[in-house]
Amino acid sequence: MVNAKVLLTTTFVASTVFAQGQAPAPIAPPSAAVPGAPADVSVKQRPTLTPEEMVNQSREYAKNMADVLKRVQGLQDQAKREKDIIRLNCVTDKVVQVRVNMSIAEQSMASLQEAVTRADEGERTHEFTRLTIVNQKVQVLGAEAENCIGEDLSFVGATKVDIEIDPNIPQYDPTQPPAPGIDIERPGEASPLTG
Amino acid sequence: MNRRLVLWVPLAAMILVARSARAQEVTIGYQGLPYKASGESSTGIQVSDGVLLHVGAGAEAGYDTNVFYSSVGAIASPMIRTSVFGDLSNATRTGAAGRISFDARAGVVYRRYQSDDSAVEPFRNAWMPTAGLALSAGGGQFGFGIADTFARLEDPPYNPSSVPITRYNNQASAEGRWAPGGGRITATLRYTNMVDIFQGAYSFSSTDGNYLMLDGSWKWLPKTAIFLNAQQGYIFYLNEAEAAVNKKESSYPLIVTAGLRGLLTEKTSATVALGYTNGFYAGNFSTGGLWGSTYLDLSAMLRPSMLSRIVAGYRHDFQNAVVASFSYNETFYASYVQQIAGRLALDLSGRYSHRNYEGQFVDPLQMATGRTDNFVQVGGTLDYFVRNWIYLGVGYSLLSNSSNIASVEYLKQQMFVRLGLTY
Repeated sequence: MVNAKVLLTTTFVASTVFAQGQAPAPIAPPSAAVPGAPADVSVKQRPTLTPEEMVNQSREYAKNMADVLKRVQGLQDQAKREKDIIRLNCVTDKVVQVRVNMSIAEQSMASLQEAVTRADEGERTHEFTRLTIVNQKVQVLGAEAENCIGEDLSFVGATKVDIEIDPNIPQYDPTQPPAPGIDIERPGEASPLTG
Repeated sequence: MNRRLVLWVPLAAMILVARSARAQEVTIGYQGLPYKASGESSTGIQVSDGVLLHVGAGAEAGYDTNVFYSSVGAIASPMIRTSVFGDLSNATRTGAAGRISFDARAGVVYRRYQSDDSAVEPFRNAWMPTAGLALSAGGGQFGFGIADTFARLEDPPYNPSSVPITRYNNQASAEGRWAPGGGRITATLRYTNMVDIFQGAYSFSSTDGNYLMLDGSWKWLPKTAIFLNAQQGYIFYLNEAEAAVNKKESSYPLIVTAGLRGLLTEKTSATVALGYTNGFYAGNFSTGGLWGSTYLDLSAMLRPSMLSRIVAGYRHDFQNAVVASFSYNETFYASYVQQIAGRLALDLSGRYSHRNYEGQFVDPLQMATGRTDNFVQVGGTLDYFVRNWIYLGVGYSLLSNSSNIASVEYLKQQMFVRLGLTY
């Protein structure tokens, strides 16, 4: 039962570490095998990173995640300035998710430090794996934030209203009170003696 | 609309014969030469940015069958009439002027009787200047406008041995408009002052009229509204001594009406106003009774096509009179305008007014018998527009009065050929 756990954990760690291009000591890829020789399909039993390398790598992860957060917050401020509500909603969602993941990463780093101190290899590997996954998620969220679509793409132009008015309808407002017109008439003859 | 507000002095008024159907602002009677810009947007001289000058001139040559409005022995005369005007505004050729607009105009009409008759000689020439100024601001929720119009009018007297009937009329007004809630409800407060000065035999009838009007309307459709209108006036005579001799008294006319204004259909508009009115004359005689205290105005306008317009109306009211304190008036009027092929313009209109004079009469004999006039006015013009700014035409005018006082009856006809241009 314990062996099975170790196997699964090792397999997972191996795959995640492969994915980190910046890892200082990546596991050798399968393509390293001699052509024509039978492929090595065995699974590494333990990570090749030393505890110090894990700590250093986790700090690198933390720095990368902080950079991502800073960049996404910049995008958020930009969306606010441009009053692009569609993009702002999208970026804000990413900011929230990045912060949650960074909170998880901080806990993992603390646990990793303790595991290194205790020389608990299993715990150390587990926390490093968590950090790696969280870092991946943050990087993905950063990329998604960059791709948040705003009004520049969804905006189809100002609303244009075409009004057709029957030409028979007068342009002036017939509901207005009549103008103070002058009723000037020739006065009636008052009498044969006047005028 | 704002220009419409105050620059409305029918040219026909200048020749002392016309009275317009106010509700629809349609001039009834002979449509004389232009005295102000017609509102044509494709003409005018661009004086500077935002200032447009319209100019116009016209000439009429014709024949007057009854120079002195005589009941017997009418004296006829050939006549000519010319006019020139200038109209300066900040309207543009392409559209409205904006939220602030102004319009200033001035013109003069010259009339000459060509007859060699010695009776006509003293009244051969008449110069009749006009002027107007309107300023308007706003147009949204708040609006404000002031305006002034002036006209000098001169016409031969009834009695050839008398002096010409000369009238100076100046009307100034200021109004504020408030239209909250997107304009569905509109309130208008307007003050109008009208100074009306006669020279000669009718100088006793020179008046200063002051009117304060408050109008509130509610549009339940974009161009149809019900309204409540109240107007209080104060009219007093400028020559108190002469007025007293001729039994003229100050009055405080009140009119309170309610009704409907605006479109009934796309092609039909109407005005229905019913209300209470009272002259409140200072003396013993004043308006009264149920019908005498009733104000009723019914008018309808139909536009069968883009090139034609029909107006018909009826009005019951009272009016300050020169020959007596006032008259109850029953007035019917109609107008038909038709353009043909974009070149010909036909204008036909007529009015019948039954006037029952009441109160104190200038002529004591009429006091005893009473006086009822039946005034008929018909006008027609047919113009051919060579261009949209120049036209040639013919015109006809008929004025008639029948009365229980035989001496005040007359029939007057005028025929013209005319040339006009407005640019």
